[in-house]
Amino acid sequence: MWLLLIGGLLHCFIGAVYGAEVCYENLGCFSNEKPWSGTTERPIARLPWSPEKINARFLLFTRQNIDLYQEISTNADVIARSNYKGSRKTSFITHGFIDKGDENWLLDMCKLILSVEDINCICLDWKSGSRTLYTQAANNIRVLGAQVAYMISIFKESFQQSPENVHIIGHSLGSHLAAEAGRRTPGLGRITGLDPAEPYFQGCPTLVRLDPSDALFVDVIHSDALPMIPYLGFGMSQAVGHLDFYPNGGESMPGCEKNIISQIVDIDGIWEGTRDFVACNHLRSYKYYSDSILNPEGFLGYSCTNEAMFVSGQCFPCTSSSPCPFMGHHADKFKVPNGAEKLKFYLNTGDSRPFSRYRYRVTVTIDGSRTNTGYFKVALYGVNGNTRQYEIYKGTLSPGKTYELLIDVEKEVDELTHVKFIWNNNVLNPLLPKFGATQIIVERGRDRKTFKFCGNGIVRENVLQTLSSCQ
Amino acid sequence: MMRTVLVIAMCLVALALATTPETSEEKGLFFNLNNGELCVNSVQCKSSCCHHSDDYLPRCAPRAADNEICSKKSLYGTYYYCICEDGLKCEGDWSIGGSIVNTNFGICTDPHHA
Repeated sequence: MWLLLIGGLLHCFIGAVYGAEVCYENLGCFSNEKPWSGTTERPIARLPWSPEKINARFLLFTRQNIDLYQEISTNADVIARSNYKGSRKTSFITHGFIDKGDENWLLDMCKLILSVEDINCICLDWKSGSRTLYTQAANNIRVLGAQVAYMISIFKESFQQSPENVHIIGHSLGSHLAAEAGRRTPGLGRITGLDPAEPYFQGCPTLVRLDPSDALFVDVIHSDALPMIPYLGFGMSQAVGHLDFYPNGGESMPGCEKNIISQIVDIDGIWEGTRDFVACNHLRSYKYYSDSILNPEGFLGYSCTNEAMFVSGQCFPCTSSSPCPFMGHHADKFKVPNGAEKLKFYLNTGDSRPFSRYRYRVTVTIDGSRTNTGYFKVALYGVNGNTRQYEIYKGTLSPGKTYELLIDVEKEVDELTHVKFIWNNNVLNPLLPKFGATQIIVERGRDRKTFKFCGNGIVRENVLQTLSSCQ
Repeated sequence: MMRTVLVIAMCLVALALATTPETSEEKGLFFNLNNGELCVNSVQCKSSCCHHSDDYLPRCAPRAADNEICSKKSLYGTYYYCICEDGLKCEGDWSIGGSIVNTNFGICTDPHHA
């Protein structure tokens, strides 16, 4: 009796027997031999389900039908009857584990891209194949990747669309789905991996996972890179593209550490809030991507080897020798040096929409009546408006000393005209100390342009001091 | 059998709790709330602004910057537009009616800058 039970359990865990293989029409055969299973990273062997069981749906949006999708399939006649045009670029967007293809974020992303580019935008829905055991879903993507590759081959043969003009955007497991499609399609234009899934892929051979060889250009956003055990980080920390972006260090995103009620009762509704409660960091990757479509300048990545160096300011600003690409939709405007891959870029984002931020280095020299504890803040004013006040330093303020900090401001103010300085006591001080800034230098990250401002006089706490330009 | 499972489960929970990454900034449940967290009064927020737009629940939000729309300080505890940042004055008309329905709005301006 016990033996039988253990045998059953073992069978359940190991799945099908090693060395098995399934073959599907037009897609080829799928085996579960190494490296697909039987390795430390992928202990449980599973064969992918049949295309019928996975039931992939291709939902096509174009500028002719922005609100209602047309369902197409891997059949040239069906495609010919739709609004698809081979002369336009094509983008696939695909979801990951548990998710579905008619989820708002995919449809919204299509609409956003269509508002800036005239393309065929296809949301790939495979919810029947994603709502199962993780190990099964991680193998189902092989069939889906083959289906996407097959569809791209139809685009090429029947509609003269070169694979170079095809872009696949995949979130989580979807990134590896895109990788499989790219492996089967020589010369695929671009793959964007939005926080590629870690379990069953990190540390695996390139055949199994996303890597730079899968497309001419592979860009990746890492937003949940902590290890799966014990932190439940769903995304890869490993660099797997030509460009790898680590917003906010790539591990924990701002705005994701809210208390449970605040997280679930979200501005975008209970459903969106619940999704964020389960996987806030992981889902941030597609939110950044969506925001970047209309606002590339707000997602400038700084070339850096690790987060500590980025935070300490060693990777600031952008220079001609280390240019900054845009994270997200406009990453392909970056010229990747020949043969270069796994280039790492760091940046900071906001904690809620809009996520775009602009990095500056602020150097402040202060003067005052005496040494005192407190903090001071600086706001930037430009031809395009002004920013909030950003705290530059908190602690002992000593007259004559210079303080420096990198800030990520929420607004692109453009050419700076003046800055404002304000300081405050932490405690009540009856001696009524006064402080002021004698000089503030602001260096803009995107082009190293520096703005110099001079001030005279000292002010009481909580009084704004305006510093004007003194080039 | 049951007890072993329970012990293992408790060990796992203890492990998970012990290995949760420490947040550098102190995080509050009722006070000291971050932007985006639900609130009923501005004193709960780090930013001192519990902001609610017409149809949503109030949440902590950053204070209004220079030249942005603001509310004058009121006893309500929540605001339709946030109060101004340090050193700024919410310049606008004040009325008794407005103070009753919490709609004394204005624009943040710097009283010391022409």
